[in-house]
Amino acid sequence: MHIMEGFLPWQWCLVWWIFAIPCLVYGVYLLKKVLDADREALPLLGVTGGFIFILSSLKLPSVTGSCSHPTGTGLSAICFGPWITSVVCAIVLLFQALFLAHGGLSVLGANIVSMGIVGPLAGYAVYRALRETRVNMFLTVFLACALADMFTYFTTSLELALAYPAQVGGVGSSFILFMGIFAVTQVPLAIVEGVVLALVFKYIVQLKPDILFRMNVFPEAKINAARNDT
Amino acid sequence: MGYKYRLEILAVVAVLIFCALFLYTSSIMGNAKYTGSDMVGAEKIAWLAGVPADEIVPLIPQWVPPSGEIESALFALQAAIGGIMVGLVFGYWIGQKKGTKST
Repeated sequence: MHIMEGFLPWQWCLVWWIFAIPCLVYGVYLLKKVLDADREALPLLGVTGGFIFILSSLKLPSVTGSCSHPTGTGLSAICFGPWITSVVCAIVLLFQALFLAHGGLSVLGANIVSMGIVGPLAGYAVYRALRETRVNMFLTVFLACALADMFTYFTTSLELALAYPAQVGGVGSSFILFMGIFAVTQVPLAIVEGVVLALVFKYIVQLKPDILFRMNVFPEAKINAARNDT
Repeated sequence: MGYKYRLEILAVVAVLIFCALFLYTSSIMGNAKYTGSDMVGAEKIAWLAGVPADEIVPLIPQWVPPSGEIESALFALQAAIGGIMVGLVFGYWIGQKKGTKST
């Protein structure tokens, strides 16, 4: 999902930075608040953030004959919300921009918006919509994680389409072109990511349910039902 | 009881299907290069902008890993950092759980 350095006109770099910076500032503020309120939240952040580090470094082959990587942001969005997740993503993306030439400093804002903000927001919205319903808890985690992944790539496609409208068909046909590259490649990866992160969430439920109660991640009845089930 | 490991089984099945899909598609697409979708996207940008991809220069000068070896080392480092964090916390939680049981 990285837009490469130099591949976005500076005006658009600026636009996405303007979107990204307030979100990051708010994320840092929330992060401090959450960690001050409950010290046991830090290990949970270590697990959810750790999976963003791991999954976003795995470039996997897909059905389109090109490679892409999962984002791993869904689990963090569920536990900590999208804004704190965007701070973790910004750290990962900065590492990749500085040392791996994946993305770059000028396009970092755009990459933070896609991977750190819109993706987690989409996952978080799905999770909030299903949290209180009868939908299975792990299915909710699966859907939130898979959609956070997909929406990251939808956003990258949109960012590129806005900057490079096609001569025939404008932004719309550019968007379809980029979706063909990014989104189609991503579908199998998003499904595998969703299943893996749902499994990780199961282990968190088994090992440390009290932190999930205190942070009110899911209703207690749902978490207890899942614990008794396994 | 039968449901105990259903998520584990699902995860293994999903990964196996993913691998099988890769083996199948790579066998029917002989010319697939498996470059990153970032690169494929960059080629399309160059095409839309009407300039060759290698003529697009960084806005902010950027260090590029000199070889694929170095790049893979740095990616492995990134994954290792994540792996250490995850392993540390799960170990900490398992220890906490054992500690509360024995008292």
